[in-house]
Amino acid sequence: MITSFLMRSFDRSILIAVAILVGLAMLVPALNLLTAPDHPLHVPTYLVSLFGKYLTYALLALALDLVWGFCGILSLGHAAFFALGGYAMGMYLMRQIGARGSYGNPLLPDFMVFLNWKELPWFWHGFDMFWFAALMVVLVPGLLAFVFGWFAFRSRVNGVYLSIITQAMTYALLLAFFRNDMGFGGNNGLTDFKDILGFNIQANGTRAALFAASALMLALCLILTSAIVRSKYGKVLVAVRDAESRTRFLGYRVEHIKLFAFTLSAMMAGIAGALYVPQVGIINPGEFEPGNSIEVVIWTAVGGRGTLIGPIVGAILVNGGKSIFTAAFPEFWLFALGGLFVLVTLFLPKGVVGTAGAYFARRRAELRGQAAETPNNLAVEPMAAE
Amino acid sequence: MYRILQILFVALCLVISAHVVGSRAAEGLGPLIDQLGSAKLSDMDDHITALAKTGDAKVIPVLEALGEGELYQRKSDGKVFLVKAQGADLLLVDPATGAGAGAAPKAAMQKVKVNNAVRRAVRSALGGLTLFSDDTRARLKAAQSMLQTPNADALEAIETAIAAERDGAVRQVLDEARAVTLLVSDRPEDQKRHAIALLAEGNGRNGLAVLTSALATADASLKPDIETAIARIEQTQAFWNAGQNVWYGLSLGSVLLLAAIGLAITFGVMGIINMAHGEMVMLGAYTTFLVQEVIRSSYPQLFDWSLAIALPLAFLVTGAVGLAIERGVIRFLYGRPLETLLATWGISLILQQSVRSIFGPTNREVGNPSWMSGAFELGGLTITWNRLWIIVFALAVFAALLFLLKRTSMGLKMRAVTQNRRIASSMGIRTPWVDALTFALGSGIAGMAGVALSQIDNVSPNLGQGYIIDSFMVVVFGGVGNLWGTLVGAFSLGILNKFLEPYAGAVLGKILVLVLIILFIQKKPRGLFALKGRAVEA
Amino acid sequence: MTIKTSVTGAFLAAILSTTAFSGAFAADDTIKVGILHSLSGTMAISETTLKDAMLMLIDEQNKKGGLLGKKLEAVVVDPASDWPLFAEKARELVSVDKVSAVFGCWTSVSRKSVLPVFEELNSILFYPVQYEGEESQRNVFYTGAAPNQQAIPAVDYLMENESVERWVLAGTDYVYPRTTNKILEAYLISKGVKPEDIMINYTPFGHSDWQTIVSDIKKFGSAGKKTAVVSTINGDANVPFYKELANQGVKAEDIPVVAFSVGEEELAGLDTTPLVGHLAAWNYFQSVDTPANAEFIKTWKAYTKNDKRVTNDPMEAHYIGFNMWLKAVEKAGTTDTDAVLDAMIGVSVPNLSGGYSTMMPNHHITKPVLIGEIQGDGQFETVWETPGLVVGDEWSDYLPDSKDLISDWRAPMSCGNFNVATGKCGGKGS
Repeated sequence: MITSFLMRSFDRSILIAVAILVGLAMLVPALNLLTAPDHPLHVPTYLVSLFGKYLTYALLALALDLVWGFCGILSLGHAAFFALGGYAMGMYLMRQIGARGSYGNPLLPDFMVFLNWKELPWFWHGFDMFWFAALMVVLVPGLLAFVFGWFAFRSRVNGVYLSIITQAMTYALLLAFFRNDMGFGGNNGLTDFKDILGFNIQANGTRAALFAASALMLALCLILTSAIVRSKYGKVLVAVRDAESRTRFLGYRVEHIKLFAFTLSAMMAGIAGALYVPQVGIINPGEFEPGNSIEVVIWTAVGGRGTLIGPIVGAILVNGGKSIFTAAFPEFWLFALGGLFVLVTLFLPKGVVGTAGAYFARRRAELRGQAAETPNNLAVEPMAAE
Repeated sequence: MYRILQILFVALCLVISAHVVGSRAAEGLGPLIDQLGSAKLSDMDDHITALAKTGDAKVIPVLEALGEGELYQRKSDGKVFLVKAQGADLLLVDPATGAGAGAAPKAAMQKVKVNNAVRRAVRSALGGLTLFSDDTRARLKAAQSMLQTPNADALEAIETAIAAERDGAVRQVLDEARAVTLLVSDRPEDQKRHAIALLAEGNGRNGLAVLTSALATADASLKPDIETAIARIEQTQAFWNAGQNVWYGLSLGSVLLLAAIGLAITFGVMGIINMAHGEMVMLGAYTTFLVQEVIRSSYPQLFDWSLAIALPLAFLVTGAVGLAIERGVIRFLYGRPLETLLATWGISLILQQSVRSIFGPTNREVGNPSWMSGAFELGGLTITWNRLWIIVFALAVFAALLFLLKRTSMGLKMRAVTQNRRIASSMGIRTPWVDALTFALGSGIAGMAGVALSQIDNVSPNLGQGYIIDSFMVVVFGGVGNLWGTLVGAFSLGILNKFLEPYAGAVLGKILVLVLIILFIQKKPRGLFALKGRAVEA
Repeated sequence: MTIKTSVTGAFLAAILSTTAFSGAFAADDTIKVGILHSLSGTMAISETTLKDAMLMLIDEQNKKGGLLGKKLEAVVVDPASDWPLFAEKARELVSVDKVSAVFGCWTSVSRKSVLPVFEELNSILFYPVQYEGEESQRNVFYTGAAPNQQAIPAVDYLMENESVERWVLAGTDYVYPRTTNKILEAYLISKGVKPEDIMINYTPFGHSDWQTIVSDIKKFGSAGKKTAVVSTINGDANVPFYKELANQGVKAEDIPVVAFSVGEEELAGLDTTPLVGHLAAWNYFQSVDTPANAEFIKTWKAYTKNDKRVTNDPMEAHYIGFNMWLKAVEKAGTTDTDAVLDAMIGVSVPNLSGGYSTMMPNHHITKPVLIGEIQGDGQFETVWETPGLVVGDEWSDYLPDSKDLISDWRAPMSCGNFNVATGKCGGKGS
């Protein structure tokens, strides 16, 4: 029963990717913690948190791919869900500091103390408990996406209009979180975390564990999305992407289908944000920057929209490139990054993974002496009508 | 007749007195001026008053130079000179005689220090000295300075000046200055009451300031008068405030319109999500900078024409860049609108970094030509010239664009291609060519917007970033593909923003506008002016 | 789909090898100095200059023979105005490039973002920008001004010399203006200013439409009392703000504006003729007339090959910080963090305004405070100067929760937030 479910839900590439992620989740922490620093296979802590960060980005890109690649909703505000999840986690971490802040106030975070706040704002209550914070990590972005999507999809806002209002949403949130009066630390955001679940957040072990958690969560979400897109619902999702009106006329409630995908995707983005914050040690309104959301779109496109592996590869590729280039060519890396985006759109319209997949499928087909065939019916075709 | 005689008499007296004092003080002036060089900042006031008391016309250029920071002391002997910079050297003029005194290296001279207090003293001293000048503008300036810094000692001089004044505008300011000055003097109550009544008629802030401070010290009998006057002025101002908000809104709207109108072509008409649009605006601003640089170094007399020269150049430069982008990248992406987002985002990064490498990351100075500087009063409104011209310019660009699209064959082709590429092509229109030109046009207009925006904003590599999101909001709010929508969208968002700002604050106001846009799109999913027809629904 | 594995595999290998390489070459023949300033993004406008200044200082030092007989080597990275990237790059500088000290950051949030990294990896950061205070960390040296080295003297000057009675506190809505204005408000009220004579206004980052606010300021200033504006408006928004001031005719003689974030660099983008007389409070101006400053400006112009490049206060802060570090390393005879941290306190080096700056036990330095008026040529002219040096006060005396705190990083106290009321390290104590 289970095997048949697995067989139905995944193709080989997803299984391999999940296996790799699970392997990494065990191998990297082991190499980091158990080997001596001068051992050739030693993974420095620096790389552990760096890759942990990439994995959370990958999860965010995967979440976007679910709505963009499979449902045709180009959200230019996905970083907002990511940031909201991050803030929920950040608030938990802030409350964990307790009396160890600069002013030693057991209840109020430092930024509230020096701005003369007298008591904790109501929305900060409950965040001292991990389960509550964890719940908020998925609920807050999920609820926002649900309400936003409920209105937008019902009014049949789509195409660029939808993209622009998602951008307006993240921009409004950016401005709101910048305001110190909101009680989220303004521009400085939340920093100086000490503990997570009682473990020192700076300890190697904690970092390794967070890395493992990110890898496993990514694997889990990969399985989930793969199951979704290969299910009957997934087929309808793709139908909505390719011909929305036709799907509606066939009797499907398009807005419900979209809403489910959008909300789920926002929740995944929230989880990604929550895993991101303890690994980079800061959450601030900069994460709401509209440019950030556009970057997520770019990771997805570079990797391959409409393939589940693509966004993961794209996120790691682009961010890894950024890490290397900002150190190696600090003056010129933007040329490299900008050039990459232009070249990928021009020459690899299906992204790295999509193109590679097509190439290998053709090779295989040639070897078998058959005519080339598009390997993956889910890969995005150029949208003729828009 | 009597009046003319009086004027003649006053003028004659002034000429004579100036002459007499001038010859008497010619030798006395030198030491007085030299004292300025060694005085402490706190004592400068006294020295300036002493100089002004001489009434010598030669004092005027000295005080003017002091205010402008063009008065220097020679380190070797402590003598003070008027200077003009000439290369690395300073050209000296003896202040007492007005004769040239050769040149000196900068290192040998030390600037006479001034601060705001000194400048204020200079201003009021000059006001007294130039109140009877032949130049109307000098008199107006003097009257304004009298109005801003009321000084009871100057009351009689003002009254003499009022009697002699023929120019209506100057007279009006003088009357107001007299009223203001009267309030701080020890004149009898009924005169003061008149002054209060006069001030209540006006809507100037100077009157309000004087009345408010007079309220604290005035006699009990005057207080009710002052209070009603203040209430009256505040009422007028509240009325004008609404007007001011509309004006600010129009002005913000015109900036939004300028920023968005190029996008209304590339995004609205062609459907390209052009993230590099902001960078076109930036390139336009940098073109203005380059033009001004050349003018500054080679043709300083042309400075007031710099914007007129920069406009066509900016259009050509950004149009050419746009053409290159269209031919190089975008033409391969037609029919894949979302992918244009990625490519143009990449292009925008490259353009930003190029500008940063070429011009440096810091702000560049773009000056306001004289006709765009300053402000004028229209009733209770302060209208700045640069904002006024930007509104005019935005509307002119809009009208020109509308004409181009609706009344020329090029415009017809553009509309045909964007509405139905295949049919247009089979009618013999060279669609690739039209695409390229349309994109170049949109970019060129963005460049011209950059010329205008360089007048009010930073000219830095980040310039475009600040406008891109607002531009998209405007185009989408107004309705994609409709120029009128962009116009109405820009102005209504501008005015809405400016009416919210005083109540909600700048930050919250902006958030509210964004939320309203989101809600509005729910109601009208295709913007204010939705295009109708089959092409849209495809 | 094996391609995916090989792609990521190759990629992982690439990252590992580059990092391994740079690690391997971190040989003992040079001392590495990290430079962590944004070269792209919104902050590049301010920070790029500081990167150039640091490169120049390192270059000059190498001409003089380097440090401890070794050459200095600058490691430049671009954190791209992206705050989490600051943390990542700081970690990279310290743990991969093995730099001995890092000079960097501009915004408070970037500093906050890297603090835990420096604490965890025990390295040294020199922070050169004026900031809100309320912080003292073992691994950070604050060479910019604390609020008492900038804001309070400026307000004093306006009260005494311009007899200002009404105050507009205008700022960008972030932590530095908020805190500074909190401190100033408390200070002004303690000096007898009535609360209705204080107007506080906040604007978003990069605000470019100042019409309403400037006209509000004019209105506020027409109440018959001398009014001044204290501006903590952040870099980018200043140019449109000053342009609007000039156009609406707000003259310095009537309503002076004193700014804490406007230096020579910001004025370079403006025609300053209509702004003559508006003020700024800093610890250094390019116009300061000392031989050391003349030399510094000459070297700077030669280094950048640009006769128009200006110098500014944060550059001087790096100059002081860098020289302090050199001296401390020489004193300690090693670049080892703990030894240098100990040696830093008490180190005294000449600053550019003709005196000496000393590193105090609270990791802040002593500086003179200068008030300057904007001139027509884009420079400032000093119109007032504190008689002596002012010690940076990390915990403000005007905020109720921080007035009992002091910082002293010397043994045996070694505490950044010692509470004199409870006698415990760690704020109020738990």
